[in-house]
Amino acid sequence: MKRLCTILAALFLLSAWLAAPAAAAESKAQAELVDNSAMAQVLRRGVLRVGMDTFVPWAMPDKNGEWTGFEIEVARRLAEDLKVKVEFVPTAWSGIIPALLTGKFDILIGGMSIRPDRSQKVNFTIPYYTTGTALVASAKVAPDRKSLADFDTPDMVIVSRTGTTAAAAARKHVPHAEHKHFDSEALCTQELLAGRAAAFVGNAPLPAQLAVENPNKLYSPFLGEFTREPIAMAVRKGDVDTLNVLNSWITVVEAEGWFAERKHYWFETKDWEKLIK
Amino acid sequence: MLRARVRFTLLDAAILAGVAVGVAALAVAASTRLDYDWRWGILPQFFLRRDASGGLVPNLLLTGVVSTVRLALWTTLLATLAGAVMGLARTSRRLLPRLVAGAYVESVRNLPPLVLVFLVYYFLSDQVLTALAVEERVRQMPELARSAIGLLLAPPGRLSGFLAALLTLALYEGAYITEMVRAGIQSVERGQRDAAKALGLTRWQATRHVILPQAVRRILPALAGQLISTVKDSAIVAVISVPELTFQALQIMASTGLTFEIWITVMALYFGLCFFASLGARRLETRLARAG
Repeated sequence: MKRLCTILAALFLLSAWLAAPAAAAESKAQAELVDNSAMAQVLRRGVLRVGMDTFVPWAMPDKNGEWTGFEIEVARRLAEDLKVKVEFVPTAWSGIIPALLTGKFDILIGGMSIRPDRSQKVNFTIPYYTTGTALVASAKVAPDRKSLADFDTPDMVIVSRTGTTAAAAARKHVPHAEHKHFDSEALCTQELLAGRAAAFVGNAPLPAQLAVENPNKLYSPFLGEFTREPIAMAVRKGDVDTLNVLNSWITVVEAEGWFAERKHYWFETKDWEKLIK
Repeated sequence: MLRARVRFTLLDAAILAGVAVGVAALAVAASTRLDYDWRWGILPQFFLRRDASGGLVPNLLLTGVVSTVRLALWTTLLATLAGAVMGLARTSRRLLPRLVAGAYVESVRNLPPLVLVFLVYYFLSDQVLTALAVEERVRQMPELARSAIGLLLAPPGRLSGFLAALLTLALYEGAYITEMVRAGIQSVERGQRDAAKALGLTRWQATRHVILPQAVRRILPALAGQLISTVKDSAIVAVISVPELTFQALQIMASTGLTFEIWITVMALYFGLCFFASLGARRLETRLARAG
């Protein structure tokens, strides 16, 4: 018995002796992890660099050449709450994930929907709102259609923006149509108005707004959205610290009702139109 | 130089009338058949806008023009440096410099500039600028130095994109300038070097005092032409979001949907810039021709 106690005590001491440097290394690694997180860098620098691209009305230049839009307000509020300055880094949407990974900016706040293939490359926060995909059709090229299935023929040209979830949704829901992709919604709209496309698939509320703005040329074949997508911010993989700060922030601001109120302003009214034209 | 007398004949009048009718027909077709809602009225505010105190300040398009000119000037400066060094290397007597300069010219000239932009932006500049921590250094500079850099190059947040664009364009234009320098040096008659050698000048002295002064005079007009090319070529860096003219135009177009108005305006702006630059280049050329 005595001998067993001695052995156990010896083992305990041995393990403590072995564990001590391991524990020290662990806390050092943790300190390094915290130090290297995007959030720590942002606070040190005093500037939050936000990656985004122009999407009306998520992010766009206003009449004064300043950024405005729903996501811009989200980023500004976040920076304000973190007590840092905000800088926007406009980046072409098709290359925005590589730009995040190579550190051109700290966080991607650009209305990016969570998708399994994207989440293999970046870490997403919890979603702070959902958006959907909608369709607007040309009254000249494809009149009197009532449903999505009516567009699913090889003679229909469907336009959407490169690399967006809307483009993916269009391919999935109308697989037999001919798909064309452009780098901005403005180019898609132009194609539709010029009568070179039957329909434009994009993130709501833009398609519905286009139908209202061009009553003679465009119409909405059906109301509402045919997909629902959760929108979140994205950070570089493995940055747990930043992810936690952002998740906490989203939870708090969500509870305030701030997202719902801003969402109403940007997506359900057109009061913001005077800001850009 | 004698100038031939220009006579305005019936044929000239007919051709001019034909062109005028063609342009008018095109304009009519564009305005009616296109079925496009022209809205020129909201365009001027994107050049100049009123700030809070009521003063006029430049807006997106004008800052885009300034940005394009700034980028083109820096590019020409760097590309000329690169071109001078590489051009001298290309005409060197030794094999290694000739091979290095030859490899540079051939690899750059055989790549599309768009591919070069992405390669530099994502790989080269990313490694170099991150290793040097350029952005962090600039942010830690005193206010005055920071605003000077912001004015001469780009504000810290946009610096890495600007430097990547500058590097790409300088690499690209530098390859062409290398060939101009090479051609300029080789165009100086062989006898000049022989004479310099006979006078006891070393090879370097001969290059510096005899060959280069003559070569530079022959290169300058082509170099001025390259500056104009650079203004035009700089439009491709819009893909990495450098806020030059094309990028700003794309942004305004995305938010307002004024596709045609914006492209026509941008066309006029680039044309104006390049046309005045080429007028300047022509004057430089005639002055050099007179002096020589």
